[in-house]
Amino acid sequence: MISLIRNELMKMFQKKSSWIYLIIILIAVIAGGIISNAVAGEPDEDWKATMKAEVEELQKSADEASEGEKQYIQEQIQQKQQYLDKDVNPDAQSNWHFMNEVVYGVTILVTLLSVIVASASVSSEFADGTIKQLLIRPHQRWAILLSKYISILIYALVLLLTMIVSGYLVGLIAFGNGDFSAKIFEMAMDGQKEAAVGPQFFLKMAYYLPSLLIITAIAFMLSTLFKSQALAVGIGIFVLFVSSTLGGLMVFLAEKYEWAKFVIFPHLDLTVYALQDKILGDVTLPFSLMILTIYYAIFMILTFVFFQKRDISI
Amino acid sequence: MATHALEVRSLTKVIGKKKLVDDVSFSVEKGEIFGLLGPNGAGKTTIIRMIVSLIKRTDGAVIINGTNLDEQYKDAMSEMGAIVENPEFYKYMSGYKNLKHYANMALKEVSDERIKEVVKLVKLEDVMHKKVKTYSLGMRQRLGVAQALLHNPSLLILDEPTNGLDPQGIREFRDYLHTLAGQGMSVLVSSHLLSEMQLMCNRFAILEKGKLIHIASMNETSEIDEAKEVVFEVDNSQEAVDVVKEQIEVSSIKVISDQQFSVHINRAGIGTINRLLISNEIDVFGINRVEATLEDRFFEITNQGVKEEVK
Ligand SMILES: Nc1ncnc2c1ncn2[C@@H]1O[C@H](COP(=O)(O)OP(=O)(O)OP(=O)(O)O)[C@@H](O)[C@H]1O
Ligand SMILES: [Mg+2]
Repeated sequence: MISLIRNELMKMFQKKSSWIYLIIILIAVIAGGIISNAVAGEPDEDWKATMKAEVEELQKSADEASEGEKQYIQEQIQQKQQYLDKDVNPDAQSNWHFMNEVVYGVTILVTLLSVIVASASVSSEFADGTIKQLLIRPHQRWAILLSKYISILIYALVLLLTMIVSGYLVGLIAFGNGDFSAKIFEMAMDGQKEAAVGPQFFLKMAYYLPSLLIITAIAFMLSTLFKSQALAVGIGIFVLFVSSTLGGLMVFLAEKYEWAKFVIFPHLDLTVYALQDKILGDVTLPFSLMILTIYYAIFMILTFVFFQKRDISI
Repeated sequence: MATHALEVRSLTKVIGKKKLVDDVSFSVEKGEIFGLLGPNGAGKTTIIRMIVSLIKRTDGAVIINGTNLDEQYKDAMSEMGAIVENPEFYKYMSGYKNLKHYANMALKEVSDERIKEVVKLVKLEDVMHKKVKTYSLGMRQRLGVAQALLHNPSLLILDEPTNGLDPQGIREFRDYLHTLAGQGMSVLVSSHLLSEMQLMCNRFAILEKGKLIHIASMNETSEIDEAKEVVFEVDNSQEAVDVVKEQIEVSSIKVISDQQFSVHINRAGIGTINRLLISNEIDVFGINRVEATLEDRFFEITNQGVKEEVK
């Protein structure tokens, strides 16, 4: 098995594209660092005074505003007051703030690139015709397929680690080393949530992993179904983008229909649990994890059974 | 009972309602080069795909060196080296890396020396470290042979292996196959280049529409006292033909050119005609027997659709 995985990794890293994807992640992180450094400007030493002035300003306009506007303005005042009360600088800058706000956003790229690699994995062997030489070796088909899957997971982790490590380094250079457990407020559906910046970032990463796992599993399944690499990759990316849209749609459907909770899409992005405890009304993390596990098992079984039975007539 | 290098028992493949391969059985002995012959679409590639487990068998068994493929898959697969249709490689890697990749998949360790040895054998030393995308068709074909031989298999399965080789390459390949067979390797080879097969195989099976219709050995095609076409070169062919027709009873005699005529006759008949011509003062410059090639025989069998008992 180890030698099979080594082979798959060798093939992967002999392809230029695999290196280009790593460089894309690096560039995205560096660009994020440069842009947020430029946008941030000079840190406001006396941010409390500025914020107090803003609150007073809002208070004044609230007196003149209509009923509807008043409520909105009150909410804003409340939010700003929280920053003042807890002594949290909303514009604080540090490498950890950079990680939590900017680098975290790069996970979208990590997902996208992992999907591209996963959906090309088997389909490219079909497209190039190399699959027939690969499968006439003294190894069971499922073992060869498993080695491919594992190599994809390894590659996805390499992408993710590249993002985290380069994010940390770029943050360090651009903003200097900050307090790992500095307090921050994160916007959630039900108001602001207090959190420590460093742990919050790693919490998001932990919630991101299951999503990455299952999305690459879907892409991998597609790659065994199609003989055309372009088709498999295209559909993989399509599913990726449609899933977030459908996830949003399910939020509405879940209010009316119970079954919407069992559809995979709203559970694909678990990072929302870093901000709130429940989604779709009353769905909690263990329930989401259970749904994902079931889907994952189904996808894997379909993939392996189909591949085992398939006639290779390239 | 001595085990065969390869034994195929009532191999059948049905897709939809079509029988692509219909109850095909044959065996390849140790050190034998066995041919699969048949027109396009006869089912040669389908048979080979079933033997190497690329496609499922609808029915039938494949036994390699006494090991049943269904029972000991890994061991049986390990005995085989194969090329199925055109060999394809990872074009973004060098020929050497490609071979290394397959070497890593062998059950028994394949040393770097062995890889180099095989590369030398197929004469790819010069381009070994170049990317495969820069290879010509013939080079890729050679690399295909190399990957099939890498792990010292006892059975080589080659589907149209000379496809894309130049005449020189084909000749070398043929010689090489004979050398391998001499060392005890068994070979199953398919092709529709019949004349080439004639030079390559010890025995061959003729397939048509998925059915095995005849298995013959090469010596069978050159049986001695069969009436064959013989071409005589004489000073006046028309006169010669008239003389022969007058004196003896022959079926198909015809003038080919001013100086040549052909006649269908057995060995003894050649002598008779020769004496006859000389005694009638016709100079004979040459007598040539036109060997019935495998091709003729092949067409003979397939066209008549003779279904002989498979031995
Ligand atoms: N996947 C498939 N589905 C349906 N029919 C197929 C499939 N693959 C092959 N066939 C049919 O099976 C028959 C045998 O094909 P095969 O490729 O085995 O022939 P062949 O003897 O190798 O011919 P050639 O000399 O052209 O290589 C053909 O009629 C072909 O159309
Ligand atoms: Mg064929």
